[in-house]
Amino acid sequence: MVEEKEIDSVKKISTLLEDLLLLEKYIKDLFTFFPLPVCFVSPLGVIFEVNPAFEKFIGYTSYEVVGKPIENFFEKEKIETLTKDVLESGNIEARDMIISTKGGEKVDVSLFGQVRRNEQEETTGFFIGFFDLTKIKKTGKELQDTQVALLNMLEDIEESRKKAEEEKNKTEAIISNFTDGLLVFDDKRKVSLINPQAEKVFNINNKDVVGKSILELSVFPELELIVNLVGPEIKDISRKEIPFKGDLVLEISTIPILKGDGKIGSLIIVHDITREKMIEKTKTEFVSLAAHQLRTPLSAIKWTLRMLLDGDLGTITSEQRDFIEKTYVSNERMISLINDLLNVARIEEGRYLYKPASADMAPIVQFVINSYKDEYSRKKIKLDFKAPENPLPRVLIDVEKIKLAIQNFLDNSLKYTPVGGEVVVSLKSIKKEVQFSVKDTGVGIPKNQQERMFVKFFRAANVLTIDTEGSGLGLFITKNIIEAHNGRIWFESEEGKGTTFCFALPVKEEFTEFLEEF
Amino acid sequence: MPKKIILIEDEEILINVLSKKLIKEGYEVTIARNGLEGLESMRKEKPDLVLLDIVMPKMGGFEVMEEMNKDENLKDISVIIISNSGQPVELDRAKELGAKDWLIKTDFDPQEVVEKVKNNFK
Repeated sequence: MVEEKEIDSVKKISTLLEDLLLLEKYIKDLFTFFPLPVCFVSPLGVIFEVNPAFEKFIGYTSYEVVGKPIENFFEKEKIETLTKDVLESGNIEARDMIISTKGGEKVDVSLFGQVRRNEQEETTGFFIGFFDLTKIKKTGKELQDTQVALLNMLEDIEESRKKAEEEKNKTEAIISNFTDGLLVFDDKRKVSLINPQAEKVFNINNKDVVGKSILELSVFPELELIVNLVGPEIKDISRKEIPFKGDLVLEISTIPILKGDGKIGSLIIVHDITREKMIEKTKTEFVSLAAHQLRTPLSAIKWTLRMLLDGDLGTITSEQRDFIEKTYVSNERMISLINDLLNVARIEEGRYLYKPASADMAPIVQFVINSYKDEYSRKKIKLDFKAPENPLPRVLIDVEKIKLAIQNFLDNSLKYTPVGGEVVVSLKSIKKEVQFSVKDTGVGIPKNQQERMFVKFFRAANVLTIDTEGSGLGLFITKNIIEAHNGRIWFESEEGKGTTFCFALPVKEEFTEFLEEF
Repeated sequence: MPKKIILIEDEEILINVLSKKLIKEGYEVTIARNGLEGLESMRKEKPDLVLLDIVMPKMGGFEVMEEMNKDENLKDISVIIISNSGQPVELDRAKELGAKDWLIKTDFDPQEVVEKVKNNFK
């Protein structure tokens, strides 16, 4: 019986043992399967056991971890607090912590702890489990970043909009307060804006013209002239003067509005030059009249002196002759000064060129040289004219004015070349120009004064003492004459060695446009 | 028969100088001190040549020529302008009105004026 009992007991125990083994296996399986990292830690903070998820997460094998202090893997201070808390309160939840992996990575985790006690309710240690916060944080951070970026973008847009608005306001303020009239056209050549000045000048209203094409503007009588001037394509115009209603004179310019390589619109600028014109006219009339009035007594003096010199009023002594001759020369200088003033006045009146005609420069130059020959020989200056070997192409010129230009060059060479010097005049055809030059062995022009040579009334310092009668107008007049012919004028000079003055006139073919203006 | 010249000019010195020179050359000179006087003399004297100033009191040189062109008896008389001005537009207008020549006083000596007169009669 006893044996039977014993057998029963053994059976029971074995069954119990079997159950226990199964349970142990179950727990082990569960521990192994558990996808979150879990470890078991002694009350003193030494790791006893880790699950595969823990190994995987932290990168160390269980051999490297088990038996090591927990603070090797977690933040020291935080884990100490956590250990204390979990031992005192039994469990803790969702503590943020950073774990250092074997790979040196710092990973944000959320940590949970649970105390384990034996049957005697003695604490044997605690479990720690955690999950990776990085992904959650990352998503959160990304979201936050996106939001910040979005906000920044919105701010930028707002700022740009403000800036654009400010620019627009500024531009509009400039346009509407601009003293010149402005008409702004878009890329389709429709009016996008006109300012109050333009409204006033052309007697139109902003709202009546905005959106209208350039051609449609010709229905406004005051605008017709502008439309005809700029044409349907709004061609480039630079400071074109047009007489407007009444005494008004307008100066019209057009400017393309460019963006990159493309034209996105045009701007017509209307500048009222009535006052300038009036002042200019008054000044010119004054100079013209003054010069004219001055000539009358000068011609009286000239003729009287000439009569005295010619003996028409009786014989004169040689001393008297000497005085009268000197007075005659002075009077001649005065006459040429007045002539210069008259020429300047006419240049500035804008009607200086008169009836340009096709001409050969050679005989013209020869003619002027002939009239100077005596004076050169009187001063013992050798004059050499290098005439062109072949016939020159013809140029379109105002002959009298070109003669004056040649005269001015010769005058200067005569005045500023010392006795015994040499002057070489040459005339040749180069490319599409006829070039005229006068080279002398004169006093030259100081380098620091060269750029002012063509300025009205300017006279270089080194000639002021040589010749006190020069007006400082000769080169100014000459430059105006040459430029009115679409020509070029220049010089080369070295002080003490000499000067070469040159001008070049375009040959006739290139004059077609120029001709139309006359 | 000496050639008859009417000098229409308001500047006394120029009148003196020029008339003296011309008389010396054997011309018969009548003087008029403005355009109106000039026309009057022309109708009376029937001159061979008129020396005409442009800017004058009462009637200027251009108006004188216009009047001459309207008058059958005067329109064939030769006219030489002697003036202190000489702008291209003025020269052209004078040419249109039938002037033979244009002399700017400051640019010519009286003897040169006399030469021009002589040439006119050649």
